[in-house]
Amino acid sequence: MKCAWLGCLLLGSLLFAAPQDSDNNVNARYTVETVIVSGKGWATNLQSDTTNKISTGLLHELTAIIGQKLNPASLDTLAQNLKKEMSAREVTHRIVRGETPEQVRVEFEVRPARASLGMNVNQFVYNSKQGFSGSGEAAVTTGPHVFALGLVSNGDWLTERFSGVVARYEDKSVGTDRLSFKFEAETFHTQWNRLTVAADSANPADAPALYRSRLAFQPTAAIIIFKPLTLTVGARIERFEEEGPAETTGANAIVTNLHYHQSTEGAYNQQEFDADLSLHTAARGFNSDYVYSVRSGGVRYQIRHGKHIVIDNAWGGYITGRAPLSDRFVLGNTEYLRGWNKYEIDPLGGNRALHNSVEYHYGPLQAFYDLGAIWDESQPAVARHSVGIGLRESVFSLAVAIPMRTGHVEPIFMMGILP
Amino acid sequence: MQEPSRGPQISRRGWLLASLLAPLFPARAADSLIVTCDDDHLRISSLGLHFLQGNSLNRLRNGSTVEYVATVGLFRDQFATQLKRSEHHFFVSYDIWGTGDVFAVSFPGPPGKPPRRRTNLSLSATETWCLENVLVSTAGLAPDQQFWLQLELKTVPPKLNSILEPGGGLHVDLLEVITPGQDERQVFRTPGPLRLEDLKKSGKGRVG
Repeated sequence: MKCAWLGCLLLGSLLFAAPQDSDNNVNARYTVETVIVSGKGWATNLQSDTTNKISTGLLHELTAIIGQKLNPASLDTLAQNLKKEMSAREVTHRIVRGETPEQVRVEFEVRPARASLGMNVNQFVYNSKQGFSGSGEAAVTTGPHVFALGLVSNGDWLTERFSGVVARYEDKSVGTDRLSFKFEAETFHTQWNRLTVAADSANPADAPALYRSRLAFQPTAAIIIFKPLTLTVGARIERFEEEGPAETTGANAIVTNLHYHQSTEGAYNQQEFDADLSLHTAARGFNSDYVYSVRSGGVRYQIRHGKHIVIDNAWGGYITGRAPLSDRFVLGNTEYLRGWNKYEIDPLGGNRALHNSVEYHYGPLQAFYDLGAIWDESQPAVARHSVGIGLRESVFSLAVAIPMRTGHVEPIFMMGILP
Repeated sequence: MQEPSRGPQISRRGWLLASLLAPLFPARAADSLIVTCDDDHLRISSLGLHFLQGNSLNRLRNGSTVEYVATVGLFRDQFATQLKRSEHHFFVSYDIWGTGDVFAVSFPGPPGKPPRRRTNLSLSATETWCLENVLVSTAGLAPDQQFWLQLELKTVPPKLNSILEPGGGLHVDLLEVITPGQDERQVFRTPGPLRLEDLKKSGKGRVG
């Protein structure tokens, strides 16, 4: 409960500590005529030019200020986002007179970096049933190359709590901006929930083996087939050190993912559409002890109209063969079927899953309805529902989710950087 | 035989340290610092005291807001023992469409009250108006008590950029943390001691 209050205070301070720069800067009364972004040997006027140097999302953020009253505080955020996206040493901004009186131009100047050193917190969540989960990394970026080393302790995504070290090398442009390469290595120590251990012991013949630790290497290459469609192909080589008598097993798989992303902007609303198809296949031919195939797919649609946002996120998948526990589906965490406890639904995870989530946001307020089912091939599917409300400011969220069921209902409280 | 005492001495290391630190604390014995007593408050005004300069002035002319912190300290002795301290924040911006080189200033008011604002001020008028709004209460100061006054003006460096990632997550640029923006600090001091009764007698003011 202490965490709940702490979360409320943190989010409250974020919500109400609005930047006062607009109140204090005399130029806040002028309207932004255009935004110009320039770098070494290039410049683009975002009102009249098209550019492929800036991502669609950031371009949208930058052009959104055109025609609006100037908010000097927001320029710092935009400069930071440009800096991050372009791996720049520095992005400065200045305001100059526009061509029309009472209008101003905002000019961003991007200074390229030889190298940058950053620290990322990729995940930090608290779930009143599963405790804290988090991951962070320190990354060195030199041009298109990224070297990162991080720590993870995650009790949210899988049926296990995995803690350990991850290392990553990424080349964001292999000869062309359309091709990128990534190599990830991770080593985790695993802790099991007593319900998972009990379920595994109850059916030792069919249940996947519990393991003490796992080590994985995953090289992947991503190619942009055409602008909104990206294909990722790679391999995953994973070793499990099993519980009990020391034995090492391996899962060697080919991983592929096809991702489609499109965003469109109308006069009154913005829409985003994402679709994903994944195939993860481990076979004896790859010298794998586990032989299985994971197929999953999902679509996400978001429409924004002023302060109103509606999101629908549908996802499903099935596994054939015998997959290790780390590859089985899980519902009942901070992302899927929120409000349910994953260990009560299916402590070993499932090899079939379907899920749909509908969210409505109005400013920082959010409400959601989750519907999902997780089961094993031989079992009947049981649909479960949950509802929740919360607050969201930027990437921080605070939510209470309630499982819809008869009998004792215990809400689950979640906060942090939620999806 | 005991060596005769030569009194307190400053070692060579002390001199070295002082010479290294001196540029960091550019205290000025301000012949331009004017202190006046107005009922229950001390007021400071400037005569050729310029603090809108350097990088801050460039930031202002580029349209940014620059936050200043003015700290007034009253000292019992020559800037060693502090009697009173008063801190004021104010925000300066440069009017891009102003007629000529004009600035605007905003002093945040107490909770629930609107800020005090002035626009269309020239550079020197901006400096004067800012200092006029830096008041120090005389409560607790005896009329015949000697005190020294120090005015410190510093800029608040631009805040570390937003650490929120556009796509979720947090990002901190470690190079920015290690080498944050430099604040600009200026210190002005009265050359000699002041007394309330002298300030009141001299009516509108006294040059410190």
